[in-house]
Amino acid sequence: MGQGEGRDDQNGQQGPGSLTDVETVAPFPEVIDEIKAAGGDAFTYCYQCGKCDVVCPWNRVRDFSIRKIVLQASLGIPDIELDEIWRCTTCGRCPSECPRGVNQIEIGVAIRRIATAYDVLPAPVSAYRRVGASLASDGNPLGEAREARDAWAEDLSLRTYTEGMEVLFFVGCYYSYDPRLQKVARAIAEILKRAGVDFGILGRMESCCGESIRKTGNEEVFKNLARSNIKTFIDNGVKRILVASPHCFHTFKNEYPEFMVNFEIVHISQFLAELIESGRLEVKGALDNKKITYHDPCYLGRHNGIYDEPRNVLKSLAGVELVEMADSREKSLCCGGGGGRIWAETPKTERFADLRMAQARDTGAQVLATACPYCVTNFEESRLSLDEGDPFQVKDITELVLEAIQAGEATS
Amino acid sequence: MILPAGSLHDFGDVMVVGGGISGIQAALDLASSGFKVFLVEKKPTIGGKMAQLDKTFPTNDCSMCIESPKFIECDRHPNIEILSYTEVERVEGEAGDFKVTLVRKPRYVKEDVCTGCTTCTEYCPLNIPDPFNQELSTNKATHIYFSQAVPLVPYIDDQCLYLQDEKCSICESVCENQAIDLRQKPERQTVKVGAIVLSPGYDTFDPGERGDYGYGSIKNVVSSMDFERLLCSTGPHEGEILRPSDHKHPHKIAWIHCVGSRQQQDGGYSYCSAVCCSYIQKQVILAKDHDADTEAFIFHNDIRAYGKDFERFYQRAKNLPGVSFVRSYVEIGREIPETGNVTIRYATDAGGVKEEEFDLVVLGVGLGPPADNQKLAGQFGLELNKHGFCKTNPVNPIETTREGVFVSGAFQGPMDIPESVMSASGANALSGALLKARRGMLDTARVYPEERDVSEEEVKVGVFACHCGANIGRVVNVPSLVEYAKGLGHVAHAEEGLFICSTDAAAEIADTIREKGLNRVVVAACTPRTHEPLFRDTLREGGINQYFFDMANIREHCSWVHSKQKEEATQKAKDIVRMSVARVVGLEPLQEFELPVNKATLVVGGGVAGMTSALSLANQGFEVHLVEKDKDLGGMARRIHTTLEGVDVQTWLRDLIRQVYRHPMIHVSHEAKITDTTGYVGNFVTTVESEGRVRTIRHGATILATGAEEHRPTEYLYGEDERVVTQLELEDLIAKGDEKVGAAGRVVMIQCVGCRQEGRNYCARVCCSQAVKNALRLKELDPDREVWVLYRDMRTYGFREDYYYEAAQKGVRFIHWEPEGRPEVEAATDEEGKPVLQVGVPNAVLGQRLAVDADLVVLSAAVVPSQGNPEVARLFKVPTNPDGFFQEAHVKLRPVDFAADGVFLCGTNHYPKHIQETVSQAHGAAGRAVTLLSHDTVTASGSVCQVNDSACIACGACMDVCAYGAISWGGTRAAKRAEVNAALCKGDGLCCSTCPTGAIDLRHFTDEEVFSQIDAALSEVWS
Repeated sequence: MGQGEGRDDQNGQQGPGSLTDVETVAPFPEVIDEIKAAGGDAFTYCYQCGKCDVVCPWNRVRDFSIRKIVLQASLGIPDIELDEIWRCTTCGRCPSECPRGVNQIEIGVAIRRIATAYDVLPAPVSAYRRVGASLASDGNPLGEAREARDAWAEDLSLRTYTEGMEVLFFVGCYYSYDPRLQKVARAIAEILKRAGVDFGILGRMESCCGESIRKTGNEEVFKNLARSNIKTFIDNGVKRILVASPHCFHTFKNEYPEFMVNFEIVHISQFLAELIESGRLEVKGALDNKKITYHDPCYLGRHNGIYDEPRNVLKSLAGVELVEMADSREKSLCCGGGGGRIWAETPKTERFADLRMAQARDTGAQVLATACPYCVTNFEESRLSLDEGDPFQVKDITELVLEAIQAGEATS
Repeated sequence: MILPAGSLHDFGDVMVVGGGISGIQAALDLASSGFKVFLVEKKPTIGGKMAQLDKTFPTNDCSMCIESPKFIECDRHPNIEILSYTEVERVEGEAGDFKVTLVRKPRYVKEDVCTGCTTCTEYCPLNIPDPFNQELSTNKATHIYFSQAVPLVPYIDDQCLYLQDEKCSICESVCENQAIDLRQKPERQTVKVGAIVLSPGYDTFDPGERGDYGYGSIKNVVSSMDFERLLCSTGPHEGEILRPSDHKHPHKIAWIHCVGSRQQQDGGYSYCSAVCCSYIQKQVILAKDHDADTEAFIFHNDIRAYGKDFERFYQRAKNLPGVSFVRSYVEIGREIPETGNVTIRYATDAGGVKEEEFDLVVLGVGLGPPADNQKLAGQFGLELNKHGFCKTNPVNPIETTREGVFVSGAFQGPMDIPESVMSASGANALSGALLKARRGMLDTARVYPEERDVSEEEVKVGVFACHCGANIGRVVNVPSLVEYAKGLGHVAHAEEGLFICSTDAAAEIADTIREKGLNRVVVAACTPRTHEPLFRDTLREGGINQYFFDMANIREHCSWVHSKQKEEATQKAKDIVRMSVARVVGLEPLQEFELPVNKATLVVGGGVAGMTSALSLANQGFEVHLVEKDKDLGGMARRIHTTLEGVDVQTWLRDLIRQVYRHPMIHVSHEAKITDTTGYVGNFVTTVESEGRVRTIRHGATILATGAEEHRPTEYLYGEDERVVTQLELEDLIAKGDEKVGAAGRVVMIQCVGCRQEGRNYCARVCCSQAVKNALRLKELDPDREVWVLYRDMRTYGFREDYYYEAAQKGVRFIHWEPEGRPEVEAATDEEGKPVLQVGVPNAVLGQRLAVDADLVVLSAAVVPSQGNPEVARLFKVPTNPDGFFQEAHVKLRPVDFAADGVFLCGTNHYPKHIQETVSQAHGAAGRAVTLLSHDTVTASGSVCQVNDSACIACGACMDVCAYGAISWGGTRAAKRAEVNAALCKGDGLCCSTCPTGAIDLRHFTDEEVFSQIDAALSEVWS
């Protein structure tokens, strides 16, 4: 070596000897086969470039290496006892940037399936057991009664879906039971009525779509939920399904076809764009000169390519200035709720949503708008740390649309 | 047939399409082999991408300095007609009889009238982004593309105000020669040729298309080609590296590898662009040259330092202070608005993701096919491969899918300059085989003005001082140097120029010689190494003997090394010029020798390289003596069964051998031993013992194709355990269907065995691809078999990267290790008691040591120089490099020539390489040999030694020191005297300084001439 400190690699293991006195492990072919069978076979493509680690949101709050997990998976030595395999929120950044087409999400889920089969769940995710049980017994993850699923719509005179209706409004668990999100469900119902949409809901016949529990490795519960929903859809002649949650959207569109069905799925942001463009929905009013920034939910944007419709809806509202945050569109920073982590314990210092809120406020916006129940939940949680009286708001795009509609009705 | 120069504009032998370094080399070799060449280039000047580079790896030669003399060679060569700013429209016909329709784009300047004075440029009111400088600076709408352009004629860009709106025609009015014609239209021209060499090069990946790494939106993210222009003294800031946002010097720079390459995503290339690793190291070294305090981070995923001298070059960059190589692909964090700085996020093995702030980010962009590749394929009737490059014969990358159309250079695929140059010479050989019947028929001799006898004249020295752009001019006060020169004795004329090497300036020197009656010339500029031949030729054009010339190096010896001491440097430049003037006054006219050329060639070595070059020469009608030390032909290829691309090597080899035996012009000797070889270019005499007979072969050229060997490992239990084999041995076992392979359920391969280490500090280039090849084969035979490859860097460069991906796809496992934690192999038993070889390898990402129980361990043993090399080197008086491979004349631009004239090399004796690379180089060696063999005589230098018989005391000391064996005993039996064979003498002067009586003198460097220089040096000290 010359006179310089030419560094090879960096930090961590460095220097002679440090790599030789470490623990020895041998590969486990049986485990590799299990991971492959569970859909994680793309680990073979990995050439350990580190791009996944670099783009992973976890590395903004602590050290986490999905690259290491992929390597361990390829060797059949995943460490299922550690917290690490539960961290991934399935946000989709790493597979979208991976030069080799490795499917990190599938690999992670495959490992979780093994852990679930062995019932190995470390403390931060021990709630998943309870969630699975609730889904099995009452079709929702929140420990609520199935019978109470349509309580949010009590005073709205909504109809039960029947064959021949224009669209089934599949409400979703959070919108049905969570007080904050029930406001969104009601806003949607109001908008649909004003637009004269011929729609119905399933009420207590509706079960959780199962998207998130599947990502925690609980394939059995997912299958049961999916089969139940599909049977309900078929029995009721469902053709077109309107959803508000990008997670429901994702699983209905991309995963339910595994069961050989083919329903037409539309997200509320797409539907709103349709209604406004066709003139069925007239938004006469304006918002109060609001600067709004839109957060792309992982499951709407990255996973399903829907970036423009929500923005077009917002831009169509008068009195709105739309600004973009850093990390927008394909690079959107995950709120931390996917992959089952909406049910996990995340220490305050490790919450992506706090970082996202800071990015939102950096734009000077007064409203952080989004279109996903997990994002709304997490951002509202982050908002609690703001000063008392801070006017910053977290809104679903449908709430903003209804606000504009109602402002128009008030003045007329 | 000797025709007046330039008389045939529509008929020639070969058309070379593309005037980059590859096209230029092809044109020069073809023209020097007796063919009339049309060199077609779509830009306003020849030069290509190499002209835009600052320096070239791994020698760090100034790119333009080594390339531009070739421009002038092309310009002055009577057999080459340059058609610049011209594109191909249509190609009809067939091999031997093509009709090409060309469109000459309007320059709006009449080439034959323009003097290159640049007055039009001065007056042009419109500034446009300068394409040569990657649009980082502006230039006028009418300008010369770059200063050394050939032809040295401006062109008018389409954005010109007249061409857009018919507003403004100032240039037309200020041109004193009425050379501007704004109404020029495209002109069609039809040319008939026998063969076509396609060398359109490549285009760099455009990171702006997808906005990769913020390129196009973040100001201080630039591409490597942008940075190349920033580095260059002819660039946007005259060699000051100034970053785009605020034109400040960046002190902390990041380089990102593989931008656009090695990826499966849409819009990128799946292959490896082969040169980026090395060019990034070059840029790091140069950036540190510019500012020693620069901090550099290089983000990569494997360093592909696979070529000759690349590994050392890599280490050179790595060992510079403040330079960090980081194994991680990256993401741009953010642009910091206040400073314009950019942050990069990168992964560490065990320390999470780090964010680092940089002043400037450079993207190592990949090499893609030329933008008009589809059009070219259509026009020339060629097929493209899946990456859009020219589809070529898997064993001969110079052959396209159309007979008579050859491809050279990067249109074959991403490659470096030596490969481009070799394939260009190879294209000469292949064209020569096709057109051998017409060789020489359109040959035009160069006609120089008559050389005037100056012996009675008063000595009149002309001094021409060059600014070399800013290289010299920024440090040395050239005007004051010129004034000083005017005051020196015998100096009749002194002037300065911006780039004296440009065609017009060089031509002006010839004119000035004639007009002012100068009979001595001093050029104060750069190095004679690159530019002396050009200026000597200029003296001949001026009508005086070329040896009346001296070059004062005020760049390498002055401005480049004293760049911070301008006053002292100027004084030193004056001293150097004074010395040169003193020397040049005393110089004598010397004549060069014409030596006859024997048209036969001796090819030493009957492997793929030797056989290919032998056939290449024989197919062109030249006699070849092929000598092989084994009893069979074939060399190392006898042990190779397939190539990575799936070629059946054994069948191809058998066919190649059959062709050699059948060719009437090739004479093969087996079990041959060369006992002696003497002579000089065009006239070698070699004695060969073969199969009991001793033969004397007379030949004009020699091609050394002596091959290489496989290292016999001493580690990893090789030789101690029969379950440990080398890759070649594995290939053999597979071919034979040996049970050792059949029963091996788990195979572990270990890379870099016996190379990239102390004592053998180079990369053996082929092993990563061989490992992947054998791994794929093993998987094909048994998909359930486990195959592991333990690597330091996967060096599957170029299109071979696709096979690396395929192997990964098929489940071959790749585990990275560092020299600090090498793999270990131990005989053991597994849990079930089966005997295995346990291979342990620590991996930094895992943070653990992986133990794999192997049934078979395969070592990728290095390719090492043949043990016979030292003896061959001694016999043929050729040098070897520090690694023991043969040393060519110039790593970049003369990769198949030895410095000794008439001796060439090809194949793995040059450096390890793949079969198709060997074939390309072998044709290249044949192509270069033909530039000699196609002539009846060869010219030797006049600067040779002479013995003064009366002073010689016959002590023989001179003979002891002569490395070329140029001195032997002459005189009479009674009075022996040393005698110099002028043809062998290389003029190094060792004998002169050794001779005790000063009886031997080196013409052009006589004692008087040298002393006069020393006296002049010290004259101002003593006065």
